[in-house]
Amino acid sequence: MKGHSLFHWVFTILASLVLLFIIAPLAGMFLDSSLTEVRTTAADPDVIRSVWYTLAVAFAATLLFAVGAVPLSWIMARREFPLKKVVQGIIDLPVVLPHTAAGIALLGFISREGLLGGAAKKAGILLVNNGAGIALAMAFVSLPFLINAARDGFAAVPERTEKAALTLGASPSRIFFTVSLPQAWRSVVSGFIMMFARGMSEFGAVVIIAYHPMTAPVLIYDRFNTYGLTSARPASIIFILVALFFFILFRVLATEKREIFRREDDATD
Amino acid sequence: MMLRTDKLSKRLGSFSLREISLEVARGDYYVLLGRSGAGKTQLLELICGLTSPGSGRVFLEGEDITWKKPQERGIGLVFQDLALFPHYSVKDNIMYPLRMRDLTLKERVDRVQHAAAEMNITDLLLRKPDTLSGGEKQRVALARTLVTEPRILLLDEPMASVDASLKDNIRRMLRRLNRNGLTIVHVTHDFGEAISLATRVGVMHNGRIIQEGTPAEVFNQPVNRFVARYAGIKNFFRVTFITSYNRASGITEKRTRFRLPKGIYPSAGLLIIGSSEVLLSRQGAAGIQINNIHGVIDDIVPSPTGYEITVNAGDYFYADITHREMEENNFVTGEKVIVSFRPESLRLVGEGEDKKEY
Repeated sequence: MKGHSLFHWVFTILASLVLLFIIAPLAGMFLDSSLTEVRTTAADPDVIRSVWYTLAVAFAATLLFAVGAVPLSWIMARREFPLKKVVQGIIDLPVVLPHTAAGIALLGFISREGLLGGAAKKAGILLVNNGAGIALAMAFVSLPFLINAARDGFAAVPERTEKAALTLGASPSRIFFTVSLPQAWRSVVSGFIMMFARGMSEFGAVVIIAYHPMTAPVLIYDRFNTYGLTSARPASIIFILVALFFFILFRVLATEKREIFRREDDATD
Repeated sequence: MMLRTDKLSKRLGSFSLREISLEVARGDYYVLLGRSGAGKTQLLELICGLTSPGSGRVFLEGEDITWKKPQERGIGLVFQDLALFPHYSVKDNIMYPLRMRDLTLKERVDRVQHAAAEMNITDLLLRKPDTLSGGEKQRVALARTLVTEPRILLLDEPMASVDASLKDNIRRMLRRLNRNGLTIVHVTHDFGEAISLATRVGVMHNGRIIQEGTPAEVFNQPVNRFVARYAGIKNFFRVTFITSYNRASGITEKRTRFRLPKGIYPSAGLLIIGSSEVLLSRQGAAGIQINNIHGVIDDIVPSPTGYEITVNAGDYFYADITHREMEENNFVTGEKVIVSFRPESLRLVGEGEDKKEY
């Protein structure tokens, strides 16, 4: 095409190769599986149960940890304190750790002999081989996605609007909920969705904490180990489709919610 | 006294506010004048309690509020960038401070309507801030602050985001608020704003207030070159004073001699003269026997009232001449001229700051 330099073509080809690398295995998996196989697997109660279970636990973990993660991200965006860089490093640590290693570390912490596991045991709760333990494993590896996205969102809120609210008589907590959070909302929701998506797809840390009850990634691994590729493939397709559906749904709902806020705003006027 | 700061100091990195003591009487329109970076905004934030001082105290109506929470001070602040809440409509922006008060919904709505009418923004209530012009945003920010019925209003460069054509409107509005009894502290870098609004002026430089008084006092008797420059004066001459034959003179390093009226002079100081009081001619100005200095026209620049002519006479002189004077004399660059001025036009500027900083 006239007007495009060699630079343009080289970059386009390199970019296309990377995209192809992501799309090709997924497309191959869909093409290699028959509709009948997918239908049969979709009727398998174990598969259905594990998919729903994974979604529910990932959502609960994200929701629960957001209660602490959002304030932490606000602190990281707004406060200066000694060793702040070290704290940021700690937040990013789960991203760089091998997830099985993260699982081992977490297992020590939540097993009956561990600090948290011991305390939970006294309260009559077992964290290993249990939904609570799985939620902790999912949260451990996916928290940085929420914290970092929300931190960037809070950092982008003009600090002057918070100061203005203070001079207008608002308390710090009121400022957080009426000025900071509404302006950072988009980033917080985006981080929430990323944490949820990363949590539900977690295998390494989860398999160390709990082989049973089986989450979808563990079930796919189990099918592959026991019956081979052809059996694992339809289960993978179902999980990918369901995960994609919820991923897109949450994104749409988040956008809708903003629209509703806008309409409510106008309605009160 | 409405507002008083007592030796307020604060270190901010390499910059520091140093021992700021100012007094603003009830009903004053106090303009704090200074270049950007002089520390004006930091001072407002200290007064509001958004930052805490390193030392010194702040009093509001006699009450020590130095360590009081900003939300409990009753001080209204309008930021330079206005800081409207982008996610709220204009109505909700103005309503915001009222939601924290023990008011019925009707009272809140009434107050919003009243403030909107006062600021002439009733038709903007349903709009979002990002759809407003600079002047409209300014009025919304003022309305949002005024509904809190502040004891004193602080304004940080309120004309900064307003088109030149709308500045008069805002000025009128601010004057009206002040006439109605509101004490205002207004921060600006614009000398014109200060002259047109202030009942008192404080000039700030490098984190200190270097002169304070009525606009006439400050601009007619500037304490140093910095303040004089704000008053539009360009002719500054550092001189050594001598007396010969019972007549006082000031002599610059370049040997320019200024004949002075009778008076008491220090051994050295700074003389200033307004550009409009400097006369240019080819033979010497009529009626002026002394202070005729020979020089060469260095530059001629159009100005709003005519031309500004720079003359190199060893020292540089700046003279404002009208279009008519220019037509009559037809001065050109490089031409030899005589700079003349009356001894009474020369003013001696206070020392101290100058020796150290300029």
